[in-house]
Amino acid sequence: MSDLASTRAARPWLATLSVGVVLLAVVGAAAVVVYGGLYNVAADVPHSQPVYWLLETARDRSIAVRAAGLVVPDDLADPQRIASGAGQYAEMCSGCHLAPGMARTEMSRGLYPRAPELRRGSRADAAEDFWVVKHGIKATGMPAWGVTHNDKLLWDVVAFLRKLPKLSPDEYQATVKSAPKSHDEMMEDMQMDGSHGGP
Amino acid sequence: MRNRIFIARLCLGILGVTALASAPLNFAFAHGDQKMECSDTAMNAMDADVQAMPEGEAKTTAMKEMDMAKEMMGNKDMKGCEGHMHNAMEATEE
Repeated sequence: MSDLASTRAARPWLATLSVGVVLLAVVGAAAVVVYGGLYNVAADVPHSQPVYWLLETARDRSIAVRAAGLVVPDDLADPQRIASGAGQYAEMCSGCHLAPGMARTEMSRGLYPRAPELRRGSRADAAEDFWVVKHGIKATGMPAWGVTHNDKLLWDVVAFLRKLPKLSPDEYQATVKSAPKSHDEMMEDMQMDGSHGGP
Repeated sequence: MRNRIFIARLCLGILGVTALASAPLNFAFAHGDQKMECSDTAMNAMDADVQAMPEGEAKTTAMKEMDMAKEMMGNKDMKGCEGHMHNAMEATEE
């Protein structure tokens, strides 16, 4: 066989070997990063901007895809739902997500990624808000409230979230006070109904 | 006539000195309980706050202020650094 022909015959082998070497290098580098503890997971050291963008985009897309099929109740503007949601928000959410007139808490200042200040509004729609409240978000401190609360209570929270950005501090306090029941009473009612939270 | 001009200038001068003397030597920041110290920890906390802001003018302002604060910190100008960090914090409150 001529030199040219033998070289051409070796090319597929070379390509496979090259790909294999590159893959091995990538896996090896990843192993060094992971097992060497090279990436700083401290909550007081923010991600670099590219990593932050990647995580945020993956999160937003994951939520959007999974919330797409949810049916949003048509009574989220009902004052009763909003009042009920306000009571729960004050109890379950305000410590991290704050409220109109509320100073930053130790929790809100220490969480990373930061819990969005929901008094400024949400980029998510109602279905996405519900999905997040129910299922939580991994590795963020956002709990899956659906484990302990039924869908009705969670939609009440979403109803309140729609109203929250429009409230002044006084209006917020008044709305919370107008909650028909305290959070503990709602939980008792839920348990008596037998409608525990769940998927 | 000369006396009138002199008296007018004297009054203006007294007013000017009074105004300067009554200006505070340091400013009471609106968020007095959150003193902006120029340290790596405080910088990281502010960076995280700015990162979490929605895109817009306020975020752009905050990012610029943080860049300037870091530059000041590099130049060992701690007062300047604290000032810019305070401006960044104000922008995050918008």
